[in-house]
Amino acid sequence: MSFTSPAFFLFITAVLLVYAFFSRRRRWIVLLVASLAFYASLQAPYLLVALAAVTLVSYLAGRWMGRAAPEQRRPYLVAGSLLNLAILLIFRYLGELIQLFSGARPAAGAAPADMPVLISVGVSFYAFQGISYLADIYLETIEPEPHLGHFALFMAFFPKILQGPIERGGDLLPQLTGDLTFAESSASAGLRRFGWGLFKKLVVADRLALLVNPVFGSVHSYTGLSLILAVYLYAFELYFDFSGYTDMALGLAGLFNIRLVENFNQPYLARSIAEFWRRWHMSFSHWILDYIFKPLQITWRRWGSWGVTAALLVAFLASGLWHGISWGFVTWGLLYGIYMAVEWVYAPWRKKLYRRLHLEKSWLVKVWQVFLTFNLVCFAWIFFRANSFSDGLYMAGSLFSGVHVFSCARLVAKYWVYLPVFKGVVDFQHFSSAAGQVCTNTLQNFPVFQGQFASENVGVLLASLLLLAVASWAGRRLPLTRWPAGIRWAGYFTFSMWVLFGLGILENPGQIFSQFLYFKF
Amino acid sequence: MATLQTLTEVFRDVFEDDSIELRPQTTANDVEGWDSLSHTIMISAVELKFGVKFSTREVMRLKNVGELVQLIDSKRAG
Repeated sequence: MSFTSPAFFLFITAVLLVYAFFSRRRRWIVLLVASLAFYASLQAPYLLVALAAVTLVSYLAGRWMGRAAPEQRRPYLVAGSLLNLAILLIFRYLGELIQLFSGARPAAGAAPADMPVLISVGVSFYAFQGISYLADIYLETIEPEPHLGHFALFMAFFPKILQGPIERGGDLLPQLTGDLTFAESSASAGLRRFGWGLFKKLVVADRLALLVNPVFGSVHSYTGLSLILAVYLYAFELYFDFSGYTDMALGLAGLFNIRLVENFNQPYLARSIAEFWRRWHMSFSHWILDYIFKPLQITWRRWGSWGVTAALLVAFLASGLWHGISWGFVTWGLLYGIYMAVEWVYAPWRKKLYRRLHLEKSWLVKVWQVFLTFNLVCFAWIFFRANSFSDGLYMAGSLFSGVHVFSCARLVAKYWVYLPVFKGVVDFQHFSSAAGQVCTNTLQNFPVFQGQFASENVGVLLASLLLLAVASWAGRRLPLTRWPAGIRWAGYFTFSMWVLFGLGILENPGQIFSQFLYFKF
Repeated sequence: MATLQTLTEVFRDVFEDDSIELRPQTTANDVEGWDSLSHTIMISAVELKFGVKFSTREVMRLKNVGELVQLIDSKRAG
């Protein structure tokens, strides 16, 4: 049952109704049962086993750790975390390992086709939440939760079980242990946010996928600008898909007056890689930062810069492996380790350089930093998204093939430098057609230009992006709730119609069941 | 109080900013450049200056300057 499916809309309405009829102190039971039913609706019973195992391990280790003296808590932290990790590995990677193993030796045992396709959606998220809970008790930032029911809800709460956010005990537990209330302001804001997320996912991300998937599906049919364009568009597809999901999760929690943590804060406007990670998938990056990077960095502090570099590499390698065991994710993680290490080593020089050139506050520098960061991030996405490591290598190596940087540069030099002096207007036309050829040669295969992507889709995409930009700008100036009711409701109506028609539901009803990209992690 | 003054000198040195004035409730958000990367550099500098050694857990638990002062004082007394 996906957030975007009609069955889910009925489910959430029913849950909200039952929730309303229970007393505040017993509402956690409604949410827990709803959460388990929601998770069970994936029809993979072993997932409930995984959830029960992580919940029990974390609950018991937390309780026992709480009873031990502070200096004797370490074994509980280590044992509890290792057990959670083992459960994660078993359920998350078993399918991949079996496939790897059986793929290497097709003759031995069952054929891959006979294996049940193990889906492990959610496990990576709540196993990490369990470890975070234990680490926070160890660091004495929270107290262990005595009530197993409340704790089980903390792990299983359905808006966040499949794709996060990865919650901290200190943030979510206090909201679940007390009275569970209903607040109209929170619920209506939640509904709006849910609708907004639906829009981001169904209208924008799924439409971008139509452009991105053909290219990533057969990379060798494309070169140069087609690949560059596909990578850029994928960057936005992933953002709108995942931040759309997060909006829906936070919105759903808001219906029950529960606040989940934010996951995104305009990540592609970051001016450095470090800042990007403070704005992208924040609940995950904070996890990596607090529980892997910082302890390593503190332990290795005597090694100076080498210690920091090593801690960065290990932390981002772990972050890559969390997404899956493949060379693509290893490369993706290591790229970030290298980016961060270079950025860190180079920071003092950069600061001095900007100070000397009086560029510290220049907007040009800011634009340059955003541009550079975005492109570094996009380059890393290649390995994150490519269907295989060799596909990724091909893409990274072919981004400029066919574009002929040198011939472009020669063209520019030849015509721009000499044009005013020696040549006439006729030559400028020749220049533009030559430059146009260099560009379009590598673009002609791109789905839009092959008629595989209806041109009105391009219009819907551009209009939607414009709407998102305007709404985000306007929302900051004047909150929606302070607009006159007439305008607000006219806006809701237009918006709903837009989602409905933008979806293409009328022509293509099957399309609305597409999966979220982060379900596979 | 003496610990806080020495600590202020260490901070000014590490973060290259002579205008830093530490108070017990000062946190990383109040000092420009005090992020997770420079945090450990500051901790190493503090260890060197006061001739003490912290465990990873002790450093991880610190929430503000006041707690760092308490930790230093307890290490030097013990």
